[in-house]
Amino acid sequence: MLSKLNHWLDERTSWRQVWETIFLRKIPKVNWFYTLGSASLFVAVNQAITGILLTLYYVPTPDHAYDSVQYITTQVPLGWLIRGLHHWGASLMIVLVVLHMLRVILFGAYKFPREVTWFTGVILLLVVIGFGFTGYLLPWDQKAYWATTVGTQIAGAPPLIGVYLLRIIRGGTEISAVTLVRFFGTHVWVLPALLFLLIGFHLYLVIRNGISAMPKRGK
Amino acid sequence: MGETKKLSRRNFIQAAIWGIGGLIGIGFGVPAVAYVVGPSLKNQQTQTWMRLGPTSKVELGTPTLFTFTVQTQTGWIVNIEEKSVYILSTDGRSYIAMSNICTHLACHIRWIAEQSQFFCPCHNGVFDISGNVVAGPPPRPLNRYDVKVEEDQLFVLVGG
Repeated sequence: MLSKLNHWLDERTSWRQVWETIFLRKIPKVNWFYTLGSASLFVAVNQAITGILLTLYYVPTPDHAYDSVQYITTQVPLGWLIRGLHHWGASLMIVLVVLHMLRVILFGAYKFPREVTWFTGVILLLVVIGFGFTGYLLPWDQKAYWATTVGTQIAGAPPLIGVYLLRIIRGGTEISAVTLVRFFGTHVWVLPALLFLLIGFHLYLVIRNGISAMPKRGK
Repeated sequence: MGETKKLSRRNFIQAAIWGIGGLIGIGFGVPAVAYVVGPSLKNQQTQTWMRLGPTSKVELGTPTLFTFTVQTQTGWIVNIEEKSVYILSTDGRSYIAMSNICTHLACHIRWIAEQSQFFCPCHNGVFDISGNVVAGPPPRPLNRYDVKVEEDQLFVLVGG
């Protein structure tokens, strides 16, 4: 029955071919360092799921942000778990993508024909850092407020354009309701859209070019 | 022999991947459901005795208005609501507490001393001294609260 249904669907969608291309492709002999990309993807999915759940209760305004986060942590069943997964997943994400990048550098996996995979990876790293920076403000506690004060101040450092950059990022001269809601919008709409597109392209290239073999001594 | 062994290893890994994947799925799915529906199932109404004031404030034979504040919490927002209740006593020993909310469309009713009746300004609802409907659209008598007296202080049971 199930195989009949699979066959029916395959005749119309070729899903078997897609499945085989993605999951049953041939790979060279590799080691555990090659799983860092998959690990990053797993944590990214974790961030997406827990992040969506957090938005069910979180309110990005100065008079509700802190209280709604406290509500999630102390009142909502397993809210502490969902927030904890998102919080620790965020740190783990940075660690994993940096290790993933180091593996690609040290194993020479960025070389021809995989340069474009590397470029998308570099942009992905920036997107992940952007997630970390914008997400840090959202709990709206003292740590969030002052970390963002300092972090945005750095954008004000360049000569001439610095003042304008600072204003654009903060949405004014001070950190305010405008700052909070634009960080929120960036964190839940802009960056996820970018991440989604870039991961899709990155994975397409990984499958299109195959993964690189381990470099051999003397070559 | 070697071939069958190779095949079983592959099958084992495959089963393990599906199994672990399923566990991870449950690990996300179950907390997600609890997290989403949790506050909807929570019964936020709790009954408490609210202190109104001394029994000496009640005029015998006349409904006397008492006000008290009720604190309710919806999500992370605490609301403070002011509520009023008419206390009636004819003998100074037994008390009845009536809501000042009209049973028609929840307007506030007033005690009109000259007519000895409660009057609702919205649609001319009229209630007698013990809250029964005399005239107008209200479908039922005024709601009552449970009352108790402790050390000459009046309490009403609210919530629930």
